[in-house]
Amino acid sequence: MAKTLVCRVGDIPANAMKECEAQDGLKLLVANAGGEFFAYQAICPHQDVPLCEGLYDGSILTCHMHLWQWDIRSGRPVGLAETALERYDLSVEGNSIYVESKSALDVGELFAGASAATLAKLAALARREEYDQGAVIYSVGDPADDFFVLDSGRVEFRIGRDERTSPAGFMLRKGEVFGWAALLDSHPRRIADARSVERSTVLRIDGKQTLAALGADPASGYLVMKRLSALIARYVAEPGAK
Amino acid sequence: MRVQLNARNRAYEFEVERGEKILFAGLRARVDLPYECGTGTCGTCKARLVDGRVDDGWPGAPGRKYLKGAGEFLMCQCAAASDVTAEVSSFVYAMDPGACPAGSAAGVVAAARPLTHDVMALEIELDRPVDFDAGQFMAVTMPGVPGFRGYSMVNFERRACKLGFVVKKKPGGGVSEWLFGGDRRASRVGLFGPLGRATFHSSLGKNILCIAGGSGIAGVMSILARACEERYFTHYRGDVFFGVRTLADAFYLLELAAFRREFQDRLGITVALSDEDVPERAPRDHPLLRFENGLVHEVAKRAMQGRYQNVRAYLAGPPPAVDAAIRFLLLEAKLTADSIRYDKFS
Repeated sequence: MAKTLVCRVGDIPANAMKECEAQDGLKLLVANAGGEFFAYQAICPHQDVPLCEGLYDGSILTCHMHLWQWDIRSGRPVGLAETALERYDLSVEGNSIYVESKSALDVGELFAGASAATLAKLAALARREEYDQGAVIYSVGDPADDFFVLDSGRVEFRIGRDERTSPAGFMLRKGEVFGWAALLDSHPRRIADARSVERSTVLRIDGKQTLAALGADPASGYLVMKRLSALIARYVAEPGAK
Repeated sequence: MRVQLNARNRAYEFEVERGEKILFAGLRARVDLPYECGTGTCGTCKARLVDGRVDDGWPGAPGRKYLKGAGEFLMCQCAAASDVTAEVSSFVYAMDPGACPAGSAAGVVAAARPLTHDVMALEIELDRPVDFDAGQFMAVTMPGVPGFRGYSMVNFERRACKLGFVVKKKPGGGVSEWLFGGDRRASRVGLFGPLGRATFHSSLGKNILCIAGGSGIAGVMSILARACEERYFTHYRGDVFFGVRTLADAFYLLELAAFRREFQDRLGITVALSDEDVPERAPRDHPLLRFENGLVHEVAKRAMQGRYQNVRAYLAGPPPAVDAAIRFLLLEAKLTADSIRYDKFS
């Protein structure tokens, strides 16, 4: 997405927010936090509710439906929210506010907060791939060399073999990470099939080289590993499981 | 018939009886499906039909306004008409092993006693005892009235054989018109539950703040029953705000005073009258209760100022009153969202 005009500075009073439509028709939530502006997806990632109907006190945004909350400066989830908001790069020129979509790497929860230098290294490692509807991204037993970041589309997973397979979840948000076995030392093979169920764009990133980049920047590496373990826990966790 | 439910993290399979709502079948199988009201209004249980057919028991359900794409449906209103594959766009886990199992139940109306001119206390004697947590509700279906309505339990006990509910008369409300329309004792009713996540356990270890409007006091009564029985208010504070229009609309005042009698140091109970000044006789007749004029969330806001440390809030009542309370608790009292519990099901 190229840089597009989304609204005027005067449209958003101090510590208020508004749903705005960018020139290309994209709807965004623009929030004013103490004179600084931030732009996010207009719709709550939980239940399709417009975020502009929510509550906003200048620092925390709350969706009124189920009280999911986000930090307005980072879009990171607070409290009950299960996922971050998709953030857009925003620039103010004179009285005009422009937005530009961020790369899937920057949007994803896994790498938020990593240093700019490390993010640049990862971006350099990433290969953009497009998959048609129904295309297989990987299959059970394939070596798990790379992990993937979803940019657009939808990817579904199945576990099991031959006739005895069952669905094992799906990914549909920009920035979601899958195939993370590539980031673990002990899981060199895929345990699920990943298939693109509509035309999808993903970033493919080499796991070993990512680990090397994170190893060279332990502060970022620690953050990413902390997020990765939280992410894995969301998929495997059952109440009472230790 | 079988339902396969695809969630973001994994898939679940469960059996569904003919005519049974898909939400209820899933909860019965201890799959913690997303829902809030369970009775067609909130839209939280929406799912997308991937394969198979469903029968919609209430095509006019208000919660359908949250449905967007073709094939979306409310799990609380739809039964399976064939094997069904459906998808929800959230993470779904197995139910917490400590949660009271939800299931179908049946019973008879044992008593129906007017509390005010438009509020009735309803007591249902169950065929088999059920377990529920304080603050939970049941979806109830009455003879000749289609669909389920949600009512919070007033009482609290383990292996309960009787459930108490509060029913407000609503013009055009099928259930309340049926109930207010004659002597309904010995009528058979169907139930599903327990439902709801606004539960209280003594292990909470926090002060509790309850803000209830009208019949929303029902769940608060259950919470108070449990808390008093377990002597919770010897360690933690309780602040209860009960909003009604006028003193004549208030009920359970003797019961509320009885809860407070033993725990006067740490349990405060305020009745907020929105449409009249506090009559002189109110504090005289009910010396253990406080009375204030105003909307219940505003009365609570004034009284609670500076006392939000270590607080869990329970909210109940008409949705606009709950929304107003949420707004001030988040924006002004700065409570975190996870310390506010409510079920919107009116």
